[in-house]
Amino acid sequence: MSRFRRFLRTPEAVAGAIILAALIAMALSASLLFPGDPQAIAGPALLPPFQDWSLPLGTDRLGRDVLAELFHGARTSLAVGLAAAAAALAVGSVVGTLAGFAGGFIDEVLMRITDAFQTVPSFLLALAFVSVVGPSLGIVVIAIALGTWTGPARVARAEVLSIRERDYVASARAIGMHPLAIAFREVLPNALPPVLAMSSVIVAAAILTEAALSFLGLGDPNRVTWGGMIAEGRTVLRTAPFLSIVPGIALVLTVLGVYLAGEGIVETTAVRRGLQ
Amino acid sequence: MSGFTISRRTMLAGSAMLLASTAMPDTGWAQTPKKGGRLVLAADSEPRNLNPAIVASNGVFFISSKIVETLAEASFDGKDGLAPRLALSWEGAADGLSVTFKLRDGVKWHDGKPFTSADVAFSALQIWKPLQNLGRTVFKDLAAVETPDDLTAVFKFAKPTPFQLIRNALPALSSVVPKHIYEVGKIEDNPANNAPIGTGPFKFAEYKAGQYYRLTKNADYWGKDEPYLDEIIYQVLPDRTSAASALEAEEIQLAAFSAVPLADLDRISKVPGLKVISKGYEGLTYQLVVEINHRRKELADLKVRQAIAHAIDKDFVVKTVFLGYATTATGPVPKNDPQFYTADVPTYPFDVAKANALLDEAGYKKGPDGKRFTLKLLPAPYFNETKQFGDYLRQALAAIGIDAQLVNNDSAAHIKAVYTDHAFDLAVGPPVFRGDPAISTTILVQSGIPDGVPFSNQGGYKNDALDALIAKASETLDTTARTDLYKEFQKEVAADLPLINVAEWSFISVARDTVGNIANNPRWAVSNWADTYLAG
Repeated sequence: MSRFRRFLRTPEAVAGAIILAALIAMALSASLLFPGDPQAIAGPALLPPFQDWSLPLGTDRLGRDVLAELFHGARTSLAVGLAAAAAALAVGSVVGTLAGFAGGFIDEVLMRITDAFQTVPSFLLALAFVSVVGPSLGIVVIAIALGTWTGPARVARAEVLSIRERDYVASARAIGMHPLAIAFREVLPNALPPVLAMSSVIVAAAILTEAALSFLGLGDPNRVTWGGMIAEGRTVLRTAPFLSIVPGIALVLTVLGVYLAGEGIVETTAVRRGLQ
Repeated sequence: MSGFTISRRTMLAGSAMLLASTAMPDTGWAQTPKKGGRLVLAADSEPRNLNPAIVASNGVFFISSKIVETLAEASFDGKDGLAPRLALSWEGAADGLSVTFKLRDGVKWHDGKPFTSADVAFSALQIWKPLQNLGRTVFKDLAAVETPDDLTAVFKFAKPTPFQLIRNALPALSSVVPKHIYEVGKIEDNPANNAPIGTGPFKFAEYKAGQYYRLTKNADYWGKDEPYLDEIIYQVLPDRTSAASALEAEEIQLAAFSAVPLADLDRISKVPGLKVISKGYEGLTYQLVVEINHRRKELADLKVRQAIAHAIDKDFVVKTVFLGYATTATGPVPKNDPQFYTADVPTYPFDVAKANALLDEAGYKKGPDGKRFTLKLLPAPYFNETKQFGDYLRQALAAIGIDAQLVNNDSAAHIKAVYTDHAFDLAVGPPVFRGDPAISTTILVQSGIPDGVPFSNQGGYKNDALDALIAKASETLDTTARTDLYKEFQKEVAADLPLINVAEWSFISVARDTVGNIANNPRWAVSNWADTYLAG
């Protein structure tokens, strides 16, 4: 309870949480408020915002409702961001734990693989992967995770290296627990907090990467994405700038919200640790 | 501060000219061509092979048509729509077995060697027929080219070949390259493919990848007082949005081939000093086509194809996707073609209820989720408009219960997926009509074309009656009879729908007021620009 109150006392964290809550509400309510296909043609093309209250944010080049696209886009952005981050964290912490706990040859191999992935810019990796395999939501998630799992892996390994020398690990060994059981039941849970602290940055980066991929036409074409909306609007940037600006603002707010909320959580936990 | 005065002065000059033009409507723009100057224009692609005799495509012509000339060029008022270039006259024999070209005298290649009938014979037999993408079909029966003297070339055909077809093919297919350059080594690897040598008004000077192509004036050009320009610079601007800003900033003076997005035209037409021109592309009509894979059992059913045709609101497509810069299509020959077009074909007015009824009749009832079946839809990535039409088609199909899943590919992957792997159900393609259905149109529906030939029938469509009609037209010599057969062809295609023609469009040029003699032939952007000039 006190942690929650401390969280509430940091204004950035509250702002982040509010934005995030609004986004999640948008994503969840998308099908209720805008049932049917968000890409359906709803009105005249290129209607400016605030002209027709049945289409408050206007329409795009084909006459699709921008507000409906925005709501459904929130869903894609959050889904991809969270899924990619979850995948990256899961893979990263497993690899990091194995490397740190096993040591020796396995450690060397796993860390060199991590190095190999780290030397390629993660966006290029995602770009290459999607263009080879073909764009769909699952592929985009994998592509983003592919470039981001190395951070968590390194952090997890460092943490495991210190934890594995602790007494309770030695005692677990002494009572004959299987090394894998020790690694994943005893060590990993304790190594997780610093890894999870990275999640806000990873989610924010994943949302941005997804938007960038969609902007380049490598997103799932059958789904509304904010990056795709910005790319669509770019061709009419001079005549209908709102088509790029609206999803652009949504994107900025989302990344900001995720980041602030994440930082808030990290800070409150850090304070707690400090007090102890 | 000085920047302001300059812009105000140009503003004033512009409005003064505008006033002058309204005061003296007859003389307003009839300026005498001025010599000299450098024309800078936007180029959105960088073709590596610049040999128009091998790669007969608009992207290559755009640059190399100024360097390498054809036997004849399209013309608004010439006989049969042609104006002489390297050939002065052309005559077809009554039996369809030979065509005689009289060539222009005193023409020199850019390296100083004289141009003769041997060059024409070499280009036709060694390049157009075996290597050129379009020439392979048109010149397939070309057996020999006789050169009784330096200025006469007689094309001999093994089978009767309609003179009308050869004539219509001249502007795009007859680029003549020098024999003395190409007879050494392999033609495909000749360095002149990247630095062309021709007879045209401009010489190839240099190419800096990612930056520009530079052409300089050919002082020995055969045209009297031509060319007017000293230099042409093709500024590489792959980003379509940047062409408009470059025009406004006076960095470039011309953006052809709709380099300025259609959505920007309305705004840019109001900018003083710039003009928007929709003429000069009449001979380069692009067709917006839904390509159909007839291997899918649903699409093999004529009723389903008719339903899809009824589900497309062509007027909406013209108005929204093309912003009015297009016309609706009725069949495989565009409405603006003066020789072959017929409006007397079955049409498919926009009618969702009828489309739904047709699908019900065909036995594809809506499932509980409102869907009948799912299709893979591949819009070609070459134009914004083809991609946008893909988005529209998906929605139009959703309205009749067909769930179309879009698959986006880059150009290379799209060509492979559609024309080699046949991994599509529906595709959106932009074939070009080149003045005669036999050049690049009948191939879209004809059967028996090997896998991997791009822009051909790769949908597995086979209609013996249509094949017979195409074969008959290809050997009918009489112009009227041949034209009638192609009218029949349009009817048959519109009735059986091997593909669905949605719209026809061409391009828009935006230029500064100072650029003169723009759009004075139907293939202006890909003609030689010998008479183009810069005033003021």
